[in-house]
Amino acid sequence: MRISSFKYLVKQGFAGIWFNRINSFASLCVITISLMMVGISVLLSMNINSMIGSIESRNEVIVVIEDGTPENNVTLLGEQLKSNPNIFEVNFYSKDDAWKGMIEKMSEEEVENLKYITTNPLPDCYRIRVSDIDKLSDTVAEIDKLESVDTVQSPDDFASILVGIRNVSTLLFSAVTLSLIVVCFVIISNSTRASVYARRREINIMRYVGASKSFIEIPFFVEGLVIGIISAGIAYGITWFAYREVYSVFSADVSMLHIFGLTALIPFDTIAVPTAIAYAVCGVILSAIGTVVSTRKHLNV
Amino acid sequence: MVEFRNVSYTYPTGQHAINRLNLKIDDSEFVFIVGANGAGKSTLIKLILRELRATEGEVIVNGFNLSTMKKRKIPKLRRTIGVVFQDFRLIPNMTVYDNVAFALRAIDAPTKYIRTRVPYVIQLVGLTSKAKSYPNDLSGGEQQRVALARALVNDPQLIIADEPTGNVDPARSFEIVDLLKAINACGTTVLMVTHEHSLVKYFGGRIININSGTIAFDEFIGGENESEN
Repeated sequence: MRISSFKYLVKQGFAGIWFNRINSFASLCVITISLMMVGISVLLSMNINSMIGSIESRNEVIVVIEDGTPENNVTLLGEQLKSNPNIFEVNFYSKDDAWKGMIEKMSEEEVENLKYITTNPLPDCYRIRVSDIDKLSDTVAEIDKLESVDTVQSPDDFASILVGIRNVSTLLFSAVTLSLIVVCFVIISNSTRASVYARRREINIMRYVGASKSFIEIPFFVEGLVIGIISAGIAYGITWFAYREVYSVFSADVSMLHIFGLTALIPFDTIAVPTAIAYAVCGVILSAIGTVVSTRKHLNV
Repeated sequence: MVEFRNVSYTYPTGQHAINRLNLKIDDSEFVFIVGANGAGKSTLIKLILRELRATEGEVIVNGFNLSTMKKRKIPKLRRTIGVVFQDFRLIPNMTVYDNVAFALRAIDAPTKYIRTRVPYVIQLVGLTSKAKSYPNDLSGGEQQRVALARALVNDPQLIIADEPTGNVDPARSFEIVDLLKAINACGTTVLMVTHEHSLVKYFGGRIININSGTIAFDEFIGGENESEN
């Protein structure tokens, strides 16, 4: 295709947006809202996962060592724990450290009551953190089999609740995202149909004079592409503004910070570029594919 | 050249529009196609333009065998044909120049060629002074001339005029056919579908009468204009 023809077709695409401005505006609004909802649901999902991850990483599994285990065996156990792929942190906590820690947390009265205890009854232990809470029960079972291990104390119930929340949220957000993508396609298809109808006279003439399929389709493609890019830009702007506002509300309230673990919330600055790219790609792909598919369907060229 | 070899067309509803039709129109011929409503004239045109594919037989147009031709080749076929409709089918928001140039742009013609070809064709149909006018500012006859210029601008081998005088006053009708005759004199095959017997009688030539999807009459008749001359 000649550059002059291509320029002409691109111009026709822009002219089409203006010619069907009410329709274009309606498509722009609905695509913007859909993209925004998809974006917000993805961001929410990311943040929930991040929060769950943060809570996960704060959970400790305590590996109690059998009383009287020689030092060599304790060291060996530590090495074995470190070699487990699901364990990312291993800290030895001696019975003396445990005693000190316990005393520090007690009141003076409680400490007074302990003066009759002459031997430290607490065991040596390892405090470990797992990287994937989904595999917690398997990891605990593996540790349990190791030599010198007396008991393993793990937050099984809490872990299963976290895993449940994460699975439900992932499923929910996937369903929302998928349904919004379908909505976008339907809207783009309707918009293209209206556009094809508005230009049926030109299309008819194009067919009779022997215009190629691509020649007929390109202006619609350009129209969809431009609407997609503008929608993505607007959706990004609104998301950016809304996210920052929500983030500042959360960071201003210490109790929320405590409840939700704000350190796990992702600041927008760190995800601004990937979000912008995702919006642009989604907007362009959705509108470009939507337009091409529906143009072929409605044009029957 | 247009050739129908034992062609039949049946619509999906079961209605037989064309029945075992045989027809040959040579290059540079001028043919009037006449017939009552529903006789099969429109189907015949749709078959030539490959809007429809014959259910039986072979249709050959300008060297293309339309019965075996692939869909993607249709634009190539249509570039060899110019079509003029009763309702003109001009784009209202484009000037006369742009309406004519549109046909060249649609086939990816070079800009330089468009700039020289379009004014030439507009001048051929006598509308140079109206090149910047919009279709709604023109009379029916003038609009049909624009449609004719658009059909002509690609330099087609065949022009199909489907009731081109249907929306034009009688005096202008004769001018339109005169123009088509002049185009034909330059070597372009012209196939004109009409209901107007006065035009057929006046201009004469090869007349094909279609009735119930078959050719009822295919003869050369002398025109009144010839006897006037």
